[in-house]
Parts: sequence; structure tokens; C-alpha cells
Amino acid sequence: MRYLRRIAASFPTLVLARRNLSRASARSILAVAAVVIGVVAIGAIGVGGEAFKQDQLDAYEGFGGTATVNPVWNPNDEREGDRTFSESEIARMRQASGGATVLPVVESFESDVRTTDGEAIPMASVTSLEDPGEFYDAAAGEIPDNWRRTVVVGSRIANDNNVSVGDRLSVTVDGEFDRTFRVVAVLEPQGFAGPLRADQKVFVPLSQFDDREYDSAIVRVNPQTGSVDQVATSIESEFNAREHTVYVHPIQQQREAFERSFRTINQFLIGVGSISLLVAAVTIANTMLMSAIEREGEIGVFRAVGYPKTAVVRLLVAEATILGVVGAVVGVPIALGVGMVANQLLLGDPLSFTATGLRYVAIGAAFGVGTSLIAGLYPAWKAANKRPVEALD
Amino acid sequence: MAPNASDDAPIIRGDDVVKEYETGGQLVRALKGVDFGIAPADFVAVVGPSGSGKSTLLNLLGLLDVPTRGDVRLRGTDVATLSDRERTNTRKDTIGFVFQSFYLIPTLTAVENVEMPRMLDRTPKRTRERATDLLERVGLGDRLDHYPDELSGGQKQRVAIARSLVNDPDILLADEPTGNLDRDTGDRILDLFDEFRAEEDVAVVTVTHDAYVADAADRVVNLIDGEVRPADEAAAEGST
Repeated sequence: MRYLRRIAASFPTLVLARRNLSRASARSILAVAAVVIGVVAIGAIGVGGEAFKQDQLDAYEGFGGTATVNPVWNPNDEREGDRTFSESEIARMRQASGGATVLPVVESFESDVRTTDGEAIPMASVTSLEDPGEFYDAAAGEIPDNWRRTVVVGSRIANDNNVSVGDRLSVTVDGEFDRTFRVVAVLEPQGFAGPLRADQKVFVPLSQFDDREYDSAIVRVNPQTGSVDQVATSIESEFNAREHTVYVHPIQQQREAFERSFRTINQFLIGVGSISLLVAAVTIANTMLMSAIEREGEIGVFRAVGYPKTAVVRLLVAEATILGVVGAVVGVPIALGVGMVANQLLLGDPLSFTATGLRYVAIGAAFGVGTSLIAGLYPAWKAANKRPVEALD
Repeated sequence: MAPNASDDAPIIRGDDVVKEYETGGQLVRALKGVDFGIAPADFVAVVGPSGSGKSTLLNLLGLLDVPTRGDVRLRGTDVATLSDRERTNTRKDTIGFVFQSFYLIPTLTAVENVEMPRMLDRTPKRTRERATDLLERVGLGDRLDHYPDELSGGQKQRVAIARSLVNDPDILLADEPTGNLDRDTGDRILDLFDEFRAEEDVAVVTVTHDAYVADAADRVVNLIDGEVRPADEAAAEGST
């Protein structure tokens, strides 16, 4: 206790500041609350956003060395309707890619999926892929190697409609088939940024389609031994020699595009969070101005007994800064707590903080203290420059 | 008394001091050429109606303000030549203040209030000794750790006097020091002034409305309309 008092005595300004704050405790608590809100807003948006990003990027895992190939519609193309790939074009693709896996995809836009009770699942889109197990892991059941009469269901379809392995779904595709399939597997959640949007899909075997017109294709190379960019270039030079007929898009690029757009959104959200710190700064400036006006006489006494202006400024700035520091000290654990909830919900591990996420918390805390300090400057300067003669009248 | 006081080397003296200030677009001449000198251990009472320039005079003596014309010299140094910082430091070393409404810091204990002017000096031990000694001498040795709201008006003013003396000033400036106190309590304050004048050689200058405080002073300066009126001074002395 004596030791503590000795330490405290060597920072008299802080002792005075702290005592002064304790006298208007309601006002101080409100000012601190404003800082807490700001720090939590920035920190939680930062950590939560990072968790969300991490969750979305997980969906790209397993897509290394993968590119999507889409046909491009040309105005001078003599064929009618949607541009698709024919069996021979897929074969040319296989040839051009030299050893890479080419998986044709059929997407049935005019389709209808219903549970056995007859309830429609409107958000489900029916896609046909030779081997979904190539990209996805099953959360339940098993993805068959060679399948003919079963379906694999995305996680959102399964969750939202209580579909589980062993259930039956009736799938109708206009002009192709109208059958009931057994659900053989439910996929792991992929996030909305996942390629192919697998969460909302019902995958049916390619063999169900008689008329083989493919809407797109997926090209995959082993990233250890080959380069998907090289494959993309050779497919493009094979198909796009005379006119632009295919569009090859490596998924790594899609991931980068996602990261870029995410960064923009996150910066915007952090900006919104920062506004709450701005409000906190105004609150603190107001608190300090009121307190300086109330204590005009006292501040006059400080000046009269020989405290220089700088000492008065230091005292009042110290008060404002203490408000900021307390706000940060309270706000950081709350921000981390919110972050842990986000981590748990999105990533399944409350402690999976990223360095970037934690940096946002640190930035929030630093901004909280910094804005408080700056907000204290004007009232302090004003109080210190009040002539003691007037203050003491 | 007045001529004697200026015989000793005065701590602070003013020659033909004029103070004008502007208020609401009007020029007010608060002091219209006043001479004064304060010698060690003097007890001077400045009396006069409100608006006579008493407070202005006290502010000039306290180095809280500088004159418009004429000069105020503290031990020979013209205070107008000092920077704000230098004036603040000189004030700290030379002048103690006692106010009518005490102006104690409510969040500090009695002893901390007395220490307050020296809190930034980084000599906490010496300061604590001096503060404790002063509080004992004003009869508050048993109230060191009391907060101002636990003290009576007279006790608060005694704490304020102890505070004004913590830096060993040469002059103690008291603005209506008994204005908020009853007669008996006021007497104790005046006794304290006498004690400290004798023991610490400190001069006391007090501004007062109170004739009985003026009676206790060695010398009375009558200020009317910014001028010293000798006739009134004579009258005041006559009534002693």
C-alpha cells in the first residue's frame, strides 16, 4: 500500500486527474461507455469480419489448381439459344489441357425439387457433375464413386429443409427426367463465396441426362505437378484462336477477387465503427468542457498558486485520456468476446483469431485512447488560457 | 505607518499604477495612478466600496495581472518584463492566496490540499512534512485526512491559509478572508495572520469590507474610484 502510494506520488498529475473524474462519476461513466462502444464496434467488426472471410476462404480450399470454363455467346454464332459445350468440345478441352482432369457440368435452370411430402424447395438448383467427391467432402453419408440413381445435397438445402441421408427427393428437369432419388450424402458447408455455390445445390448423376449439352466445365490439375494458369492459356488458345468462344477463370483468381471485394466492404464497416468513436470523442470533449467550466474557480486557484498553463493542460488532458484508457480496457475484452462468438459460429473454434483480426482490436483500442486525448485538448487549452483573474471573480 | 513601511526595502512596490480594461466595449479605469509598497511582515487592509479597484489592486500585487501604465516592481524587477511563465514561477515562490470562498479541491484531503501548490515539485516527503507542520500550526493536526466537505467553514479557511504558506511566500494576499465566517471564527483567522507574520515574516494584504478586519491591520488603504484617498485613511486610523 505504501509502495503503491509512493508510485502514485511520482505521477501527481494522474492522481489529481483520477480524483477529479471520480467526483463526476455518472458523467465519467457515460463518457467511458461511449469509448467502449467505439472500441467494441471497431474490434468486433474487425475480428468478426476476419472470421467471416476465413470461413468463406475455406470454401476455396481443395480448389487449388482449378479453373472454371464457360462458353461465350457470340452474335455471329449460327447456333440458337444458350451456348453450351458439346461432347466434342469437351474432348478438345481434354486434349488441349494435356492430362488435366476436365469435368463437364450440366446446370438445369428449369428444374423442380420436392420432398416426398410434395413440398417444393425453390432455392435448390440442380447440377450435374461427374464426381462431386473431387471437390467436396461429405458431412454425412458418402459420395459414391460411380453413381446413377442417387443425389448429393448441399448443406443449406439439407439444413433448411431437414433433408438428411436416406431421405428421398423428387427431381424434375424439363425435357429430361422426373424421378425420385435417394439422398446419399450431404456436403460440408462451403459458404456463399464457394465456387459453384454448392450449398444450394442438388447434385444428380450425369447419366440421368440423355442429351449431353454441357453448360460449363471444371478443369483441374494437380497443383504440385502442373500449373492451372498454363492449362487455362492452352485451352484459350485452342478455342479462342478466331473468336472468343470460351472464358477460362482460375478459381484462385476468383478467390483473390473475393478477398479484394471483402476488404472494401470491411473497410467500409470499420469506417462506420469509427464514427461511433467520433461520437465518443464529442462526448468526451463535452464532458471535459463542462467539467472545465464547473471547475473554473479551482483551475484559477491552480494557476494562482503557480501551476503553469502546461500543467493545467496536462491535468485536463490526463483526465480525458484516463477516460479513453478505461474505455479501451473495458472495450477490448468485450470486442474479443464478440470475436470469440463469431469465431465459434463461423469457424467452430472460439480462439481462431487471425493476426489481422487482433490488429483491428488493437487499432480500436489505440483509436479510443487517441481520440479521447485529442478531444481533451481543446477544453484543456481553453481552461488553461482563462485568466485566473476572471476565473477567481 | 505608511511611510515606515516603504522605508524597509519593500517586497513589492507600485508607482503611479494605472489599470484599464475594456468591458462591453467601454474602457474602465480601475486604478487611476496608485502608489503602494509592501514591506516584510506588514499587515495592510485595502478597504473601499465595490468597484473601487480593490480586486484589481490585489490581482496586480498577486502578479495575476500587469498594469496598463506605471510599474509594479517585485524586489526591483518590473513584472511587466516577465513572461507569463516567469510570472507564474515568481508567483509560486513569492505569493500566497487566500480566497473568500476557500477554493479547496474537494477531491483532496486537507493535507493534500495544502500540498497542492507543490505537488508537481517531486519532493513529496519534504512537502508532506511542511504541510503537516502547517496544519498542526493552524490547529488541524487531527484533521489531516479529512476531505473539505468534512470540515467547517473556519477549518476550511485554515486549510486554505496553510496552503497559501506551503511555498514560504513573502506576501499573503487575502480576498475577504473572513467574509464567509462568523466573528469568532474570523478572529481565529486574524490571529493566525499575526502568528505567521511573526513566525514566517510574511506580509499580509487583505481586501475587506469588514471594518473590524481593517481595525486589526497595521495600515489601511482606502480605495475609492481607483484612487487612494488619504482623508479616508486618516478617518480609518482615527476610528482605531
